Amino acid sequence: MGNLRWSYMDHWRADTPRGPMTQYGSRRLMDDFVKQISAVGFDGLDMFDFQIYGLTQMFGSIEKYQEYLQDHGISKIVNLFRGIMYDPRVADPHVRETHDEIVESTRQMLGMWEGLQIENLIVMPASLYADTAPVTADKVKAAAECWNRVGEASAGFGVRTTGHHEFFCAIRTEEDILRFYDWTDPRYVSFFCDTAQHCIAGIDPVALYEQLHDRCSGFHFKDTREVDTTGAFANRPDAELMAPQTARWFYEMGTEGGLVDFPRLMRALKEHEFTGWITVEHDKANIGGDYAESTALSMWYAKHVLREIYS
Amino acid sequence: MTGPARLGYAINQWKPNFDDFTRREQHVRALKVIAACGFTGVELRAGTGRWDPLGRPASIAANYGSAAAFTDLLRQIGVEAVCSWYFDPAEPVGEELSPGRSVLEGGQHRAIAESVKPFAEFLAAAGGSRLVVRPLPSAWQTGELSADAIAIAAQGWNQVGAATAGLGVTISLHVDCLSSAADAKTLDALLEATDPALVGLTLDTAELTLAGLDPVAVYQRHRDRVDHVHLKDTRHVDEAGERQRPHAEAAMLLAGGDRGVERWFYECGTPGGLVDFPALLAALRADGYSGWLVFESDQTPNPARSVMLNGWYARHMLPGLSKDLLLS
Repeated sequence: MGNLRWSYMDHWRADTPRGPMTQYGSRRLMDDFVKQISAVGFDGLDMFDFQIYGLTQMFGSIEKYQEYLQDHGISKIVNLFRGIMYDPRVADPHVRETHDEIVESTRQMLGMWEGLQIENLIVMPASLYADTAPVTADKVKAAAECWNRVGEASAGFGVRTTGHHEFFCAIRTEEDILRFYDWTDPRYVSFFCDTAQHCIAGIDPVALYEQLHDRCSGFHFKDTREVDTTGAFANRPDAELMAPQTARWFYEMGTEGGLVDFPRLMRALKEHEFTGWITVEHDKANIGGDYAESTALSMWYAKHVLREIYS
Repeated sequence: MTGPARLGYAINQWKPNFDDFTRREQHVRALKVIAACGFTGVELRAGTGRWDPLGRPASIAANYGSAAAFTDLLRQIGVEAVCSWYFDPAEPVGEELSPGRSVLEGGQHRAIAESVKPFAEFLAAAGGSRLVVRPLPSAWQTGELSADAIAIAAQGWNQVGAATAGLGVTISLHVDCLSSAADAKTLDALLEATDPALVGLTLDTAELTLAGLDPVAVYQRHRDRVDHVHLKDTRHVDEAGERQRPHAEAAMLLAGGDRGVERWFYECGTPGGLVDFPALLAALRADGYSGWLVFESDQTPNPARSVMLNGWYARHMLPGLSKDLLLS
């Protein structure tokens, strides 16, 4: 086995006679989904943590779902993305009074996944920029305290807590990202590098990885054709789907006009001897595109361009 | 252990209409999907006019600079060969000012043989070896063919085969569900009358099944002639004989026939699929089949999805048949 393994972050939609559906809607759609990602060479699957509810209904238990994945060529569920809708009244990392809720709800969620060997719990480390501004040092410090506690709890489950900085997240600038990692405990909080999100935010993801490589526990390899030049990160009520600048921020890696320098990133991974899972993501691919084609094109790029550099 | 067969994919599914799939970036995306799923060959489909840039060798040269430039691009993408090209002599060829030709008319055989030469030359240079042809017109157009008519068609295919043999390209008769060759008696007679050294048989699993023929039985009866395979599935058999009614191409295949069938052809392994792939693949494996296994999914609503599902099927259901399964 080489140094790298490839996992797929699920945002899948399939066209059906009833319109676009996720694979959680039927066993037949699930069969098709798993076969398709396996066919192009994925070995692992990432998903949102709350999918455990639908999967348990469909398969009886999350362990049985992983066995089903293995029967179809996918060896494991690798990473979970923590699905919390931040609200300063209930759960918001910059609001210290809500940290107990964040820690406890995460502990409960990880307990449901305990039968598997999950590697990373990926979190957006702060709420939306628009809901947090002005972003102060104390708010970043509060978030760091929150995730230190969550990370310590997740370590008890053998899972690393790792920060994923959306371009519209309150901790989004290079300065704030770096001080967030200064203020978090390396034992408990890692860095998860989403190439497109940093690029949109005007940060070179390769340079950021170079600075944080000793904290980096994984990647979302996805591309973008746009840097946020309009202050879209602050767009209310949403930046991801509703900002005037573009209807689609994210593309599969290798896309024409893509801004992420993946070959340079792979050389950096090689230099720092990164080993483990790389997750491919292209959320919202159905906006003017198609998940199946984006998935196949991503793995074509991984096999024919990136593998030549480091594997 | 892996066998000698190779895995290809037919590109026809990306072009449901004459004005679809015209741009080079669309071709590149399709070929990358094919390569990503482990297929190392592509089958092209003959076509005419400026909106069919992959339809003829001259069109490829016009759009890609040269045939060699196109095959270089294929290889950069990871597709090693144009394994085969589908050709129906009855279709019009604007470049030749031809409204279409009939293999049932002896006087047109020479023109058909001339017409296919550029395709054979291209295939020979691009790593291919099969010109996959429609052997007879639709059954509703010909009615039951006489022995004399079948003999004339056989002579025609022998002549065409002789024209391409020197290039290492064999003519392979592809029996689709509407063809008058999709009848055991007619097919047997046609094969009997053709020269095995020049003319082979493409076994298309779903087309035969839809026409009411068992592809496994056809393979067993003609295993020494099968030199190309199209793998696709169907959930339907034409039990009402709609294939023999007037304008079956439109009324049955496009409109869905009396049952309003939305889609006649599916990926291998589809739920409710009628083709007995395990039996056929076991027979191919036992015989050491060494040709191309070309997957198809014409009429798919999503070409990439179909290639991926067929790629999964190839990887999981065809062990021992192809060395390509080690490459992806």
